[in-house]
Amino acid sequence: MTGAGTALVVDDSAVNRRVLVRRLETLGLAVLEAENGREALARLADPDASVDVVLLDVLMPELDGYQTLAALKADEKTRHLPVLIVSGVEELDSVVRCIALGATDYLTKPINPAVLAARINASLAAKRLHDLEQESFERQAALNRTIQRQKEELSRFLSPQIAALVSSTEGEHLLAGHRREITVAFCDLRGFTSFAERADPEELMRLLNEYHAMIGAAITAHDGTLEHFAGDGVMVFFNDPLEQDDHVQRAVRMAVQMRDRFAALASAWSERGYELGFGVGIAVGYATLGRIGFEGRHDYGAIGNVTILASRLSSRAGPNQILLSPRAAELLDGMAEVESVGELMLKGLSRPVAASNVVGLRETPVSTSR
Amino acid sequence: MHADQPILETGVLAELLESTGDDVEFVRELLDTYLAETPEHMAAIRQAIEADDAAALVRPAHTLKSSSATLGAMRMSAIGRELEMAGRSGSLEAEAHGMLPDAEATWDLTVAAVRGWQAEHPR
Repeated sequence: MTGAGTALVVDDSAVNRRVLVRRLETLGLAVLEAENGREALARLADPDASVDVVLLDVLMPELDGYQTLAALKADEKTRHLPVLIVSGVEELDSVVRCIALGATDYLTKPINPAVLAARINASLAAKRLHDLEQESFERQAALNRTIQRQKEELSRFLSPQIAALVSSTEGEHLLAGHRREITVAFCDLRGFTSFAERADPEELMRLLNEYHAMIGAAITAHDGTLEHFAGDGVMVFFNDPLEQDDHVQRAVRMAVQMRDRFAALASAWSERGYELGFGVGIAVGYATLGRIGFEGRHDYGAIGNVTILASRLSSRAGPNQILLSPRAAELLDGMAEVESVGELMLKGLSRPVAASNVVGLRETPVSTSR
Repeated sequence: MHADQPILETGVLAELLESTGDDVEFVRELLDTYLAETPEHMAAIRQAIEADDAAALVRPAHTLKSSSATLGAMRMSAIGRELEMAGRSGSLEAEAHGMLPDAEATWDLTVAAVRGWQAEHPR
């Protein structure tokens, strides 16, 4: 006998109870007693009593065996408890009814010690198994909560796409590095450097917070992947890690939305004496994407000429200009009205770039190819 | 038919002793408990029969049958069984009324037999 367990004996006859208690104690169990079903339920409701098996008489005053069994099975906390019905040999019909109600097994009076030991052992084993499952279920649930919390925490530091990527199954593969055509949008403020030199720190932080809140909302609204914030400069790319057929259109729509909203911010700043402009550069091309950095501090980044081109176009953009690379303009597919700004010589690039500025979005795109 | 049954089947008490490692004290106390609780069941049985309440007869008769059998009080147990069946049949008329004096006489005999056994098994 493996012992260690607590039994609850429910019988209205003190004689029967005492015999059963004695037998169970011989088997190494701790025993609680109840004179009827009502008392049994009260015992089980006591949080300090951890009962492993219930031995239940059928005919009892107050609350009989059937009612007690039904109450035990209806309560989430006691549903799993093994219940052995103790009955006379002539009462097998009531035993059948009890088993249908969820009783585990039965014992006939007079109690045979060997049969009792076997039934108790089986019940305790079943209870232990249930407890182990419950424990493992709770551990798993706690683990899931931790993972969920980490994901949420992660998504505060990373762009939502990267946070999702880190916890996805294909994440490791994508993080390791891959090549893909992306659209890169680079935006920054005109006149920011001289403003930063003049403004007091509180004013600078307040203005940057307003600007970042506006920028962040637009990035999220268009499912862009934020690569980094650096002061007033922001780099966002599209089509990675989330694949987007309309990556160029998304970038342009985002840039136009930012430009519109920037106008409201700029007029408020202007009243405070700060004249700032907003410019964007957008380029399309292949880049290598993945985990970039060193042990302890990695970023999800994009490397390639396309990022340099977008950055240079942004530097060259005048206030409220959204400059497109030739490939970006070509892929726009008529969804925006553009104007050529001519061939630009850009720092670090050997050949001039035919750039165009986005004048505005078209309500109904004028399709040229599709 | 209950008249065929022994008042006290001492073999049952012998088995109880054996299975408890000859714990005379335990078996004596068990018998004391039986002597203390059975009059309550007998009173409930009498009340049910006098009130012609068949449903109220079932449980005390059942308990009498069961606890008596546990201790070898076989004739008392058989009477308990017959009373329980009478209660379940729903009609107490002649049968149960007739059984009451017999039940009470058997109880007196059972008490005497139990005391006798206890006297033979001092602590």
